[in-house]
Amino acid sequence: MEQTIERTGRAENGVRPVPKRRRDSSESRWGLIMVSPYLIHFVVFVAGPLAASLYFGFSDYDMLNPPKWTGLDNFARMGSDPLFWKALRNTLLFTVLFVPLQTLLALLLAVALNQKLRGLKWFRMAHFIPVISSWTVILYVADAIFNPRFGAANALLTRLGLDAQRWLQDEKLAIPLLVVIAVWKGIGYIMVIYLAGLQSVPGDLYEAAEIDGAGAYRKFRSITLPMISPTTFLVVVMSTITTFQAFEQIYVLTGRGDMSQAGGPNNSTMVLMLDLYREGFTYLRMGYASAIAWVLFMILFALTMLQLRVQKKWVHYE
Amino acid sequence: MEKKGKKFMLLAAAASLTMAVAGCGGANNNNGAASSSSSAPAGTAASTASGSAPASAAGGEKTEILLGYYSDEKSDSKMKELIGQFTAAHPNISVKTQSAPYGQFYQKLDTQIAAGTAPDVWLSDGVYVMKYAERGAVRDLTDWIAKDLKADDYYGLEYNKDADGKYWGVPQGIQVGVLFYNKDLFDKAKVSYPTDDWTWEDLKKTAARLTVDAKGKTAEESGFDKNNVNQFGLTFFSITEGWFSVLKSYGGGVLDETGTKSIIDSEPNKKAFEWMVDGMSRGIITDPVDLKSFQSNTAVFPSGSAAMRIGLYARVLAANEAGLNYDVTLLPKGPDGKRSAPVIANSWVVNAKSSDVKAQAAWEWVKYWATQDDVQKQWAELGEAIPVKKSIAESDVFLKGGDKPANRQAFLDSLSFAQTLDVNAVWEEWVGKFNENAQRAFLGDQSIDEALKSANTDVQKVLDDFYKKK
Repeated sequence: MEQTIERTGRAENGVRPVPKRRRDSSESRWGLIMVSPYLIHFVVFVAGPLAASLYFGFSDYDMLNPPKWTGLDNFARMGSDPLFWKALRNTLLFTVLFVPLQTLLALLLAVALNQKLRGLKWFRMAHFIPVISSWTVILYVADAIFNPRFGAANALLTRLGLDAQRWLQDEKLAIPLLVVIAVWKGIGYIMVIYLAGLQSVPGDLYEAAEIDGAGAYRKFRSITLPMISPTTFLVVVMSTITTFQAFEQIYVLTGRGDMSQAGGPNNSTMVLMLDLYREGFTYLRMGYASAIAWVLFMILFALTMLQLRVQKKWVHYE
Repeated sequence: MEKKGKKFMLLAAAASLTMAVAGCGGANNNNGAASSSSSAPAGTAASTASGSAPASAAGGEKTEILLGYYSDEKSDSKMKELIGQFTAAHPNISVKTQSAPYGQFYQKLDTQIAAGTAPDVWLSDGVYVMKYAERGAVRDLTDWIAKDLKADDYYGLEYNKDADGKYWGVPQGIQVGVLFYNKDLFDKAKVSYPTDDWTWEDLKKTAARLTVDAKGKTAEESGFDKNNVNQFGLTFFSITEGWFSVLKSYGGGVLDETGTKSIIDSEPNKKAFEWMVDGMSRGIITDPVDLKSFQSNTAVFPSGSAAMRIGLYARVLAANEAGLNYDVTLLPKGPDGKRSAPVIANSWVVNAKSSDVKAQAAWEWVKYWATQDDVQKQWAELGEAIPVKKSIAESDVFLKGGDKPANRQAFLDSLSFAQTLDVNAVWEEWVGKFNENAQRAFLGDQSIDEALKSANTDVQKVLDDFYKKK
């Protein structure tokens, strides 16, 4: 529409394009009015707090007194804070174990459930139930199996003559166990995303491949994988970002609502968001917590940029 | 655009804008009146006037204060009743309340203080009083206490006293720790009940006879499987209902009197730890992994899975609800006959940022709570805490407040050797660091010497972090 008006304006030399300007400014005024609720919300609830948080990151702020500017002190503290580095390592470990595992399993599950067999929709629904359950419910399920004294897992192990494990109380097992539980909980959601992606792969590609004599594996590798690579890219980027920010699952499963217990045995499940929350709200070092939040943002930003750069190598867009 | 269409769009835009703004403002409706008045700077005449603006009754100025407290359902309605009594007796003061369950209350409190909308007076868990006092968020009540309260009439005023002799809160309810024991489990094992003469060693000896594994063997018998304990002799966790009284009665401790220096790495502490680690390694005392198997740390005793526990007065409610046949006695002595019991005085504190007029009104409430016999009686009847007014605590209202436990005098007797939990501005943080290290010793992952040394370093670091700045 703009183009039409401009052409009209240019064609008639010497005539002031009054209609253009009036429609333009009236349109843009209306546009602004319509967008204003969102803009106000954005400034008040997003931009404002972001700016404040950046300011806090460079201050000493205990919430009970106004913030005091301290420059780079918080970042210096972060550099020499062993708990921060442990949290970072735990977060990286959790993410690196979780994202590939969930992505791969969800894809295989989606492929398996993408057939037109009867009753498959019940399977799909069954996988979605953990997704919509709260972590507190998942805690009870996990407890039924992995409770060191009353759980089924240790009962089975001792019956087989093996040692009972401490499970979530074991420093080495805690994070892998959390990964397994989280994969089980979230797989349904990723599976649904993949199902949508799979359905958009044109069937004639498969037919053509069959004519050429391709088997199931070949079809999967050379048609399915490349065609859904945009979906895979989306899933990997989103999972990485959300997993890096994991808080609720760790807090519920290791803390059971008690902040002082969360972070698992000897901080072996202390992740960045948990550390951030504790520093800010329990220890009243909100300035330091804000600095950690911004460092977390920088890390995620760098990771996402990296993934965007690498996508040219393996993501196939139509 | 048609004129009609334009008008509709304008209305729609205005409507959505209003809804958006109302949406943000709606959440604060509760504190609307109070926030507009208490956010004004303290002590200026202008703020006093604006604060009393809402209702100028005939003659005197009416002051409105915001009163915050944490509670569960039962105590919430009783508290509101008592507040109603207060406002009836003080017609020039109106009270707006803000209550929530424990966790949510504190989450909200810190952000409210940051925003300047915190209550004028709030109920603080005893262990958090110094957290707010040393950061300047609550008012110094020393002068008012000296003027209006006779110290000898009340328990616990000194628990809120800092190293400089300033008082920061007035107790609302006292929680002191004693030894709870399950009489049925003792009877079943044909073991005689604990006495006042017990030492911690006596306790452990008896506890061994009360620790039963899945096959019914006790910890004293051969073939006892310490990995399959069904019933523990003693349940024990964290600072208050765990290691604090053991350390203290052995002559050790965590912080010095100034609260700024760690005294963790000491010989008495080592002996105390040896007692604890021995008990846990033999399966007699619950270790941190055992505790994680239960719904919560405090659920072990009421569920009948432990014969004894160190418990605050508030644990009486859960034990009674579970229908346990139990009683209480003094906590055991240390090897030199020293006694210590943990005590927490949950206290009323006054917001430092409230105007003088509001602070005065808040003080009227605090005074009312402590001095009025009727208020103390009604709160004692709830059974949640020991009343702070000595005359009520020493009367039948408290001592015969219920048939279980029978030996309620033990709570009052314990107050004579009770100690606060080395509370200071960074209490939660150093307790966390201590527990981290203690847990390694308890689970046998680290030697006691190493654990005490690293606990000492970690705790000192936390203290220096806060106190070196000042």
